[in-house]
Amino acid sequence: MLKFSYCNATDLNQALVQCRFAGSFGPLSSRRRSPRAAVSCSRSNLTPIQAVLSCQQQVGSDPVESELGSLADRLRLGGLTEDGLSYKEKFIIRCYEVGINKTATIETIANLLQEVGGNHAQSVGFSRDGFATSPTMRKLHLIWVTARMHIEVYKYPAWSDVIEIETWCQNEGRIGTRRDWILKDVATGEVIGRATSKWVMMNEDTRRLQKVSDDVKEEYLVFCPREPRLAFPEENNKSLKKISKLEDPVQYSRLGLMPRRADLDMNQHVNNVTYIGWVLESMPEEIIDTHELQTITLDYRRECQRDDVVDSLTGPELVEGSKIHGTNGSATAITREDDLDCHQFLHLLRLSSDGQEINRGRTEWRKKPT
Amino acid sequence: MVATAATSSFFPITSSPDSIDSKNKKLGNGSTNLGGIKLKPSASSGSLQVKANAQAPPKINGTTVVMTPVEGFPSEDAASSLPPRTFINQLPDWSMLLAAMTTIFLAAEKQWMMLDWKPKRPDMLIDPFGIGRIVQDGLVFRQNFSIRSYEIGADRTASIETLMNHLQETAINHCKSAGLLGDGFGATPGMCKKNLIWVVTRMQVVVDCYPTWGDVVQVDTWVSASGKNGMRRDWLVSNSKTGEILTRASSVWVMMNKLTRRLSKIPEEVRGEIEPHFMNSDPVVAEDNRKLVKLDDSTAQYVRKGLTPRWSDLDVNQHVNNVKYVGWILESTPLGIVESHELCSMTLEYRRECGRDSVLQSLTAVSGVGNLGNMGEIECQHLLQLEEGSEIVRGRTQWRPKNAKSFGKMDQVPAQSA
Repeated sequence: MLKFSYCNATDLNQALVQCRFAGSFGPLSSRRRSPRAAVSCSRSNLTPIQAVLSCQQQVGSDPVESELGSLADRLRLGGLTEDGLSYKEKFIIRCYEVGINKTATIETIANLLQEVGGNHAQSVGFSRDGFATSPTMRKLHLIWVTARMHIEVYKYPAWSDVIEIETWCQNEGRIGTRRDWILKDVATGEVIGRATSKWVMMNEDTRRLQKVSDDVKEEYLVFCPREPRLAFPEENNKSLKKISKLEDPVQYSRLGLMPRRADLDMNQHVNNVTYIGWVLESMPEEIIDTHELQTITLDYRRECQRDDVVDSLTGPELVEGSKIHGTNGSATAITREDDLDCHQFLHLLRLSSDGQEINRGRTEWRKKPT
Repeated sequence: MVATAATSSFFPITSSPDSIDSKNKKLGNGSTNLGGIKLKPSASSGSLQVKANAQAPPKINGTTVVMTPVEGFPSEDAASSLPPRTFINQLPDWSMLLAAMTTIFLAAEKQWMMLDWKPKRPDMLIDPFGIGRIVQDGLVFRQNFSIRSYEIGADRTASIETLMNHLQETAINHCKSAGLLGDGFGATPGMCKKNLIWVVTRMQVVVDCYPTWGDVVQVDTWVSASGKNGMRRDWLVSNSKTGEILTRASSVWVMMNKLTRRLSKIPEEVRGEIEPHFMNSDPVVAEDNRKLVKLDDSTAQYVRKGLTPRWSDLDVNQHVNNVKYVGWILESTPLGIVESHELCSMTLEYRRECGRDSVLQSLTAVSGVGNLGNMGEIECQHLLQLEEGSEIVRGRTQWRPKNAKSFGKMDQVPAQSA
């Protein structure tokens, strides 16, 4: 799924200068492949939303798509920010998105992150085929795949709460891009969560990773924040933590998980959010009953398809200097001596048939608020 | 399922005299769309609205707007107390005349075309957060949903589960905005006293057209009596921009004692609580009375075993959410049908609930091809049961070839090559 931002007239000029395309609308025209689009996207006093809408309607070949897009844009609660370098959208939590804790499930949060990322890309006029690929990428049969997803939730929203999610993307290394999110409770303005994800480019036919070529980079670099902007700016933050592979024998497991029809995307691959649910399936119930998920990090290794059967494995993450409680196989690592309410786990999802790793993860749990 | 079912119903907590007041207060309401101004208690759903405001989270409940009354003025009016002096009551009388005229017109129109009774008013307030609001003299609840990207299926249209989630959401919000979600089970005081809850027994959904990502649908829901001791909840889903009807659904609820698990008649006291909220309309979906057969291993052609609930399938009472059953039913529907056809109609009978530790199996039999006079239509029978045998849901589905219907703007977007 993709996420390219769009900027308004002022920033377009600035960005172009900085991108060595001073004075021309070269990259923009080539991206749009429509002379009219270049004109409409240029100097005007349109607000970002209007600019997006007018460009939307001129993006080439799919009139149905742009009409649906503009209606949705008008009614959508989201739009690009003033500087055009990020996108914000509000969501209300629906009753069926709430789980046993009466708060939104982590899958709901992950779905909303994915939704706002897709809307961001769509607001820039990129394809709505679910992969949010730019025209150049489509021409080269390239798609984005998630490499890592890291979500921290400080306070889970409840049914009918309205949250606002801001998202933006930027370059990451030679083969990747990252997308960051900040979640806020609209009523209080407080930050209730943060997330970051890393994406790599893959050829959809060969399924091999590919470096982000310059012409693809041109297409979106213009619209990303110039200075690195990180949802997790602090050093050594958990989003960078390496995840060890869980080794046998494993403490907790849930075997034989199968994708449901609803888990499959348009290309019959299991969608990212389903893996989160699978990871949690092998969590010990005593933790699920008393704790809530604070942090989850997933490294995606291999994709999973309709007929695959998956085993979900969980074990405590042992930290240096930590105390281990219990002796009879119910050991749970405690992170700090003074914080008995926090638990950390390592996870592994692998194919039942041959044990190939699908993804690995790490979670942190805190005691539920009373 | 029981708890979920119960909370999805609709329960007044006011007693009759207040309701009568509320109907009288309706007469004084203007027909103008007040554009989001929060109407104070004298609005037509009257005292219900008071309780809604008191109970609903203050940051959310600011968009209740009352439209003109539709149903004629009830004949059982008794003496009413004076409504409090509020903004609404100070509107000039000409608006009352306008309201009366509009009411008569709408009522007449409704009689003529059941499915088309909703006036198409382009200036209707757009519900900014999709919270929904009471319309039509307090008996109908309306809420908009924008279809999110993760709610669409492999064929790029909203899945049937998404549609049913929306129905469930509006049902609960209906109760909530009328101030009825007291103890979490949604039982009226009279029901609570007798340990009674509502349980859904039957659901029928007819989909004329599936929305796609980014579409905004409008869902209207209301309740009516069903026989002497049941309640029916109906839904009408339309394209919020064009007004075109997308989906119609109807569900039947009975009362059950939550301790003995036996069905119960509606006690008189409870009847007094709930009847004022019944809309006396015809079912929005013609009832399909054909018996649902029970499949078994010999009659089922397709079986999918080992279905287990995930954490996210459970509601706050750790019962599996009703809507998940539909997904499981479709698990054993042959892929060939699912890929070439779309679900156009579904009838479900709910038998039992299940929880976290249940292991289920889904059985399907194709019972008809090209019958019902429609070329290409397929009919299937379904059973969802625990592996140890207890029935959870019986169902029947009908499928029509994809792209068979052409309903204007809501055609599915042709698949693009990625």
